[in-house]
Amino acid sequence: MNFLIGVGAWLVGPAHWQGGDGIPVRVMEHLSMSVAAWAVALCLALPLGLFLGHTGRGGGVAINVANIARAIPSLAVLSLSLPLAFGLGLGLGFWPTVIALVPLGIPPILINTYTAIRSVDKDIVEAARGMGMDGWQVLRQAEVPTGAPVILTGLRTAAVTIVATATLGAIVASGGLGRYLVDGLARQDETRLFVGALLVAILAMLTEGAFAWLGKAVVSPGLQQAGRHDQEPWMMWTG
Amino acid sequence: MNPGEPLIRWDWVWAHTSDIGQRVAEHCVLAGIAVLFGFLLAFGLAILIRQQPLTYEPITWVAGVIYTVPSLALFALLIPFTGLSLMTAEIGLIGYTQVILVRNIVSGLRSVAPDIREAAIGMGCTSQQLLWRVELPLALPIIVAGLRVTTVSTIGLTTVTALIGQGGLGFLILDGIQRFFSTPLLVGAFLSVLLAIGADLLLVFVERLSSPWKRAIV
Amino acid sequence: MALTLGRGDRKGATVTFEHASKYYGASPGPSPAVDDLSLQVEPGEVCVLVGPSGCGKTTSLKMVNRLVEPSSGRVLIDGTDVAAVDAVSLRRSVGYVIQQVGLFPHQTVAENVGTVPKLLGWPRARINARIDELMDLVGLDPDQMRNRYPAQLSGGERQRVGLARAMAAEPPVMLMDEPFAAVDPLVRERLQDELLRIQRQLGTTVLFVTHDINEALKMGTRVAVMEQGGHLAQYSPPAEILARPATEYVARFVGADRALKSLALRTLGQMDLEARRGSAEIQDQSISLGADQTVRDALSALLAAGRAEGPVFGSDGRFLGFFTLDALVKSFVREPESSGNST
Repeated sequence: MNFLIGVGAWLVGPAHWQGGDGIPVRVMEHLSMSVAAWAVALCLALPLGLFLGHTGRGGGVAINVANIARAIPSLAVLSLSLPLAFGLGLGLGFWPTVIALVPLGIPPILINTYTAIRSVDKDIVEAARGMGMDGWQVLRQAEVPTGAPVILTGLRTAAVTIVATATLGAIVASGGLGRYLVDGLARQDETRLFVGALLVAILAMLTEGAFAWLGKAVVSPGLQQAGRHDQEPWMMWTG
Repeated sequence: MNPGEPLIRWDWVWAHTSDIGQRVAEHCVLAGIAVLFGFLLAFGLAILIRQQPLTYEPITWVAGVIYTVPSLALFALLIPFTGLSLMTAEIGLIGYTQVILVRNIVSGLRSVAPDIREAAIGMGCTSQQLLWRVELPLALPIIVAGLRVTTVSTIGLTTVTALIGQGGLGFLILDGIQRFFSTPLLVGAFLSVLLAIGADLLLVFVERLSSPWKRAIV
Repeated sequence: MALTLGRGDRKGATVTFEHASKYYGASPGPSPAVDDLSLQVEPGEVCVLVGPSGCGKTTSLKMVNRLVEPSSGRVLIDGTDVAAVDAVSLRRSVGYVIQQVGLFPHQTVAENVGTVPKLLGWPRARINARIDELMDLVGLDPDQMRNRYPAQLSGGERQRVGLARAMAAEPPVMLMDEPFAAVDPLVRERLQDELLRIQRQLGTTVLFVTHDINEALKMGTRVAVMEQGGHLAQYSPPAEILARPATEYVARFVGADRALKSLALRTLGQMDLEARRGSAEIQDQSISLGADQTVRDALSALLAAGRAEGPVFGSDGRFLGFFTLDALVKSFVREPESSGNST
């Protein structure tokens, strides 16, 4: 009980809300690293997934990417990005973390997009073609809107994974909320550790919540009627 | 990392083989306990959901929340209560397995075609017999698929437990980061991936053995 | 090259198959999907392609909108080879309805129906007016159904939306691939009747694929019976197929009850009726028949009532004469190939 009171006191302490190690700065650092990495992953994986799904090519490649990517520990990706960032002269902290986070975001987006487009009902695609849609129109007007729930799940998983793993960036001297955790562990300061963990958890859940809201706003009500959309090819695929 | 130094110093690797071997063993134990108990827990929950379908939503919701919390944060939240212990590591790792395992086992059980289920009931199967003789064997491929995903990601996640004072291959990675020494880092990462792929192949083999009826159509 | 089919007068187009064949794999393989198909569908006709599964009827249909390209031979619409027309603009001017409908689940009924006009770049107001018009035509209340999603519709309603969607841009040709196979028999019959009504009203040329001979006989102006290997066995009006099957295969396919089936193709108005007795006697009859009833239904009514004859009345209630079993038998003796369907 005393411990939790300590945590509460820490949280309301004005000193913890200002300066370079203050909560607002750490949250912003965390978010900027995450958004940067997520945006890069999105730009790489979404077009590729749409292309592979629409043309039906590369299914085997996608499975292998998924399997191998899942096997590589995020801590290892993070550590391997260090030499790369050093080689590029980007230094410690922000960039090695972003570089490490991008590959974590790619597989869920790629796999879910690919699967979403592939699994669109063949009758819908045939009807679209039969009515005189060209390839681009079939993709934009039939395949993407119909596959939207699964694609969005991929974007969400990528975002949550990235926000979660950005925490580990503190090990390679980046900012973000991970600092509280790594410093808390190093100083055996359990209050700081606990506060950091609490904030990261809240941030991850807010990310999840934001995408759930986005899904409601973007996905057609006609598809939301059809049933639950907690399918997650990225989690289920084993090839 | 230091200029002029090779990425891998093989002399270090040869000099530390027994140490590396010990880390691999620790890693296997850490991940193995998590997958084993994670599976038992998830199986129990899935059976509960089968009897009481209303529990599906709350159970998967809680599992989903746990899954959303970053690994290091989950460990950190437990430390004030269970300390820097094996218990902390295992609670965290087991917690992470639940989302995928419960969902897979439940959807596996539910995937059994209604006509097959009806035929079994029509022949006089009790609910328990239906579960063990019909639903589980037919759901096995989906269950094993979930187990494979879980095993692979648990082996990767186990590296993080080094941060809360556990051993395993994460210890080598962390050691490499702290000393700016790439050799143990790469050895740790590489062996972790290798372990994950090996475990995955082992489960594929088990799956083949346990569902002979699928071989005919493949 | 753009296609300007039947615009203006809005009547149906002529569809011609000229030695069209389709081979899959090593061509010409041992068994073609479609084997040298030649037939012509006149404007405003309903041509039904019927046969067992694997007879190439769907493949033939898809040659018209180039979802399948013929290996040899060609398909013409109003004299224009479809291969010379851009596939995308061709498909926008040819209506297409499939069994599973393929409605877009993320779009409302109205958006689905307006798909092709939108692709063609019609102005918003014209599209909206067209949507209401089409929904009325297929028997869906626009105010009630406009904003529903496919998941909220019954099977029959989905088919109606699919039909409306296919007709949206007033296509001179409609292709229908087993459109009613997935709905229950009662709904199917109603949809068949309504399709015939709409088709007659608009004069659209329809190519209709089914495996059900009864549906073929009911819907077709002419019926193309196809057999395994993509071979056309007979292409004739339904009454002729029943009266004079060209081959043993066709006879077996239409069934041993083909004489009975032919009864469904004629109405009492087309039969010779006996006007021998005065109207006083008619009051006593406990059975009364309508001139627009099929001979099949009339016969069934007579048998159920245990009678050999019944009075027939016109739609205005006027007495036309008696329909008798005797006259029915004679109609077969005198004119076995009775040209029943040519109304």
